[in-house]
Amino acid sequence: MVDFMLLAPEIIVALTGLIVLMIGIFMGSSSKNVLGYIATAGCLAALAMVIGNFSASALMFSDTLSVDPLSQFFKLVFLVVALIVSIASIKYTEDNTDTEIFYALVLFATFGMMFVASANDLMVLYVAFELASIATYALAGFEKNNPRSVEASMKYLLMGALSAALLLMGISFVYGATGTTSIPGIAQNMDVLASNAIGLLAIVLLIAGFGFKIALVPFHMWAPDTYQGSPSVVSALLAAGSKKMAFVAAFKVFIVALLAIQADWRVAFAILAVITMTYGNLVALSQRSVKRMLAYSSVAQAGYISMAFVVLTPMALTGGILYTLSHGFMKAGAFIATAAVVYMVIKEKRDTEIPDHLDNFKGLGKKMPITALCLTVFVFALAGIPPTAGYMSKFILFSSTIQSGMVWLAVIAILNSALSLYYYARLVRYMYAMPHEGEKVSEPVPYVAALLISLVGVMAIGLWPEPFIEIAMQAASVLVGGI
Amino acid sequence: MLPVLSLIVLIPLLFSAFAFLTKKREQARVVALMGTLITLILTLYMYFSFDSSSAAMQFEELASWIPSLGINYHLGVDGVSMPLILLNAIVIPLLILFTWDDVRSTPNRFYGLILAMQGAVIGVFISLDFFLFYVFWELTLIPLFFMVNIWGGPNKRHASIKFFIYTHVASLVMLLGIFGLYFAAWDQTGVANMGIAHLMSQFPMIGSGIARDAIFLALLFGFLVKLPIVPFHSWLPDAYAEAPTAGSVLFILLKIAGYGIFRVILPMLPATGSPDMMITILGLLGSVSIVYGAFLALSQKDLKRMVAYSSVSHMGFVALGAAGLVTLSISGAMFQQFSHGLILSIMFMSVGVIQASTGTRNINDLGGLATKMPKLAVIMMLAFMASLGLPGLTGFIAEFMVFTFSYVNVPTFVILALFGVVITAGYHLWAMQRTMFGVYNGKIGEVLDLSNVQTFSMAVIALLVLYFGLNPSPVLDMMITGSNEIVSLMAAMGV
Repeated sequence: MVDFMLLAPEIIVALTGLIVLMIGIFMGSSSKNVLGYIATAGCLAALAMVIGNFSASALMFSDTLSVDPLSQFFKLVFLVVALIVSIASIKYTEDNTDTEIFYALVLFATFGMMFVASANDLMVLYVAFELASIATYALAGFEKNNPRSVEASMKYLLMGALSAALLLMGISFVYGATGTTSIPGIAQNMDVLASNAIGLLAIVLLIAGFGFKIALVPFHMWAPDTYQGSPSVVSALLAAGSKKMAFVAAFKVFIVALLAIQADWRVAFAILAVITMTYGNLVALSQRSVKRMLAYSSVAQAGYISMAFVVLTPMALTGGILYTLSHGFMKAGAFIATAAVVYMVIKEKRDTEIPDHLDNFKGLGKKMPITALCLTVFVFALAGIPPTAGYMSKFILFSSTIQSGMVWLAVIAILNSALSLYYYARLVRYMYAMPHEGEKVSEPVPYVAALLISLVGVMAIGLWPEPFIEIAMQAASVLVGGI
Repeated sequence: MLPVLSLIVLIPLLFSAFAFLTKKREQARVVALMGTLITLILTLYMYFSFDSSSAAMQFEELASWIPSLGINYHLGVDGVSMPLILLNAIVIPLLILFTWDDVRSTPNRFYGLILAMQGAVIGVFISLDFFLFYVFWELTLIPLFFMVNIWGGPNKRHASIKFFIYTHVASLVMLLGIFGLYFAAWDQTGVANMGIAHLMSQFPMIGSGIARDAIFLALLFGFLVKLPIVPFHSWLPDAYAEAPTAGSVLFILLKIAGYGIFRVILPMLPATGSPDMMITILGLLGSVSIVYGAFLALSQKDLKRMVAYSSVSHMGFVALGAAGLVTLSISGAMFQQFSHGLILSIMFMSVGVIQASTGTRNINDLGGLATKMPKLAVIMMLAFMASLGLPGLTGFIAEFMVFTFSYVNVPTFVILALFGVVITAGYHLWAMQRTMFGVYNGKIGEVLDLSNVQTFSMAVIALLVLYFGLNPSPVLDMMITGSNEIVSLMAAMGV
């Protein structure tokens, strides 16, 4: 018997997506603003359902779906990001004739991500993964007349299609060797794969497949172009949501299904984590476009989170999982602040080729005080300055590496963290120490609302982390079962 | 009972938020003054009800914060921290008075940052939990970064980022040390606990000597960079010199590194794998800083940089006194922190006044200012004399105690450091002679002496330098109690 109450969040999100799409068709473009509010309400309702059933645990549909604290935690992450993005997009989609398509895509992408979080079978996982990906390909190219947006979408689509093929290839090897696509089933039959070269091949393909979405170096090439070219609200969804989807999928596939051959993939993740964080931070140093800088910083952050795969202790997993939530708030917030700046630049009709250029952030502290303050908190949080969510997550994650004796990894991560401070502090310097041009701008309410929600999230995890650590621990304990 | 300790952190932070929200300079400065005065009153209340003969933590507050990681909201003061809180609580309201008439961009942020800084620094002094300690420790970076970055001199960008990254790296190394200590204690006791006292007591039980040394050196590195001490001092002259006067004074009041040495490093020292080597590091770096800092100060053409380097030299005394390992040398080092905070505040204020009225701080372009600025000349002279160690002023007591009592354990370094004293006297007198005395340099044009509020705030600090120089016991007694406790902790670890 399937308890549909546990699927209520998914159902609500999907229905809201359909409703938005349907009624949007029959609406005049002037009244389409209401769609944003409907989408926001849908996300809120789904969020409430997830929080209400947080510690539920159930297997459904011939064990292909599993609702457990891990899936609930990631649904929370995706819904929070979707909520923030929906609120901010009320302003972004204003005066747009395709509002219903935008919101429907955002909600369908979220729907796919939520299914990835509860997938208990590789086929379900793959289908849900593709559902979310295809929606985001379209979102990245939402500004049809903007060549950069189209380029972003195209690049993302091509890379994404390739990575999906690799992923499917990896899944097929695993299936071929173990005879099942069920995640627990694979774990039981691992001895077949462990003593076989196919196991190694499968790991390589799976890491490459997930690595594309996570944007691990060297599979990150699409990320800077796509994050920069896409509308900022979509970049927020990509960096804060879609990347986390790949993480939860990787958590399930590697830590639950392929635990028996951990010796092989741990080394791979160790190398990738170190390269990713170092490369991301080094390249971010020289970026003049803020969105590109945030994209590289996002690459670096993915490197930190990947440390959870290397350390593989309950504490590290708790830290990694908490980091995904914190990063969701910080990155979504940072991209939306950028969106507000881009909006301001376009409104002032400034003649700049790159609207998110660092120069446009000059004197933002005076021009858009709330946006500047929030962005300052977000970038300091990304750098790991207390008392913010970023610090708390890094605290748990980095300290777990010390606990398990991997001092070298902690040292590399901490040096990286210090390095990243340079480009974050530079952005803050531009906002507060540089003179500004033009008049003070009235900040659009939807952006401010989205920023404040992210700010509350970042500060709440930093100042009162206990409840968040608790739920992250519950989520980690689902993974740890096998360790 | 009134949670005084929470209040003296929260009130500055709360008023900082108020100050940010104000629109005008007049409102911002009044809010700032109110916040700091309330903090001062509470601190004085605490000071007068403080029992200087007791080594126990007083006004303790304890509440659970993050139970799953063993992190508590644990506050308390003892003789080590009380004088430093007092120093901050007294000087910051005077600093606000000093800047009362200054016209600058975005005054609301300026005063907001000063208040935020006060809250964060006091927070470091009263935290008895390492997590909380680290949070406040890192928080002190942000107001200073903005202070230099927004209102700094021509080279402010370079200076602010250099300071931020340099000290942040040091803090992160310290954090690694804290992690090591935390998990070692966790393994030994089976319970997670971030309490400083708990971790200190578990430190000697760590099996491997290399692990103990690594943890100790990581923590020591964090503190020495912040102190700062040669060879980790290169962020200091840039940051101190580029900062606006108020920023420089805030840097001076940032006594958290010396505090960390007394609170954390000394009790751990005897239990390290090779205590002799650690004492050598501390003592040698201390005496080298005294001498090298003095030489660097002697060669400066910029008056503010000279004062900044004199600070490096003075901080050497803190390290040397700590390396002395006896009650009175440690108390001397603590008193040096207190005295240095007062003296250097006046010196930076004097430099600020000179720069504002003459437009330069190049020593060679000045001369004979005493004829035009008599009030400044008197106060500045007193501060310079105190800084070079004239008996009757606070600097003398601190340096005397450090030299005399460190001689017991580390005579070589004391003798080495004594050479610095000659140079110290030299650069102070020479700088005074070239700026304040002699023939008035006509190129400067007309200059204005101190305004009344400036005179008031500088004179109050100057009187305190004189008062504590003649009668140090109001703060020295509690420092001695605190150092006694540290020495007995060290003895318990088996020196």
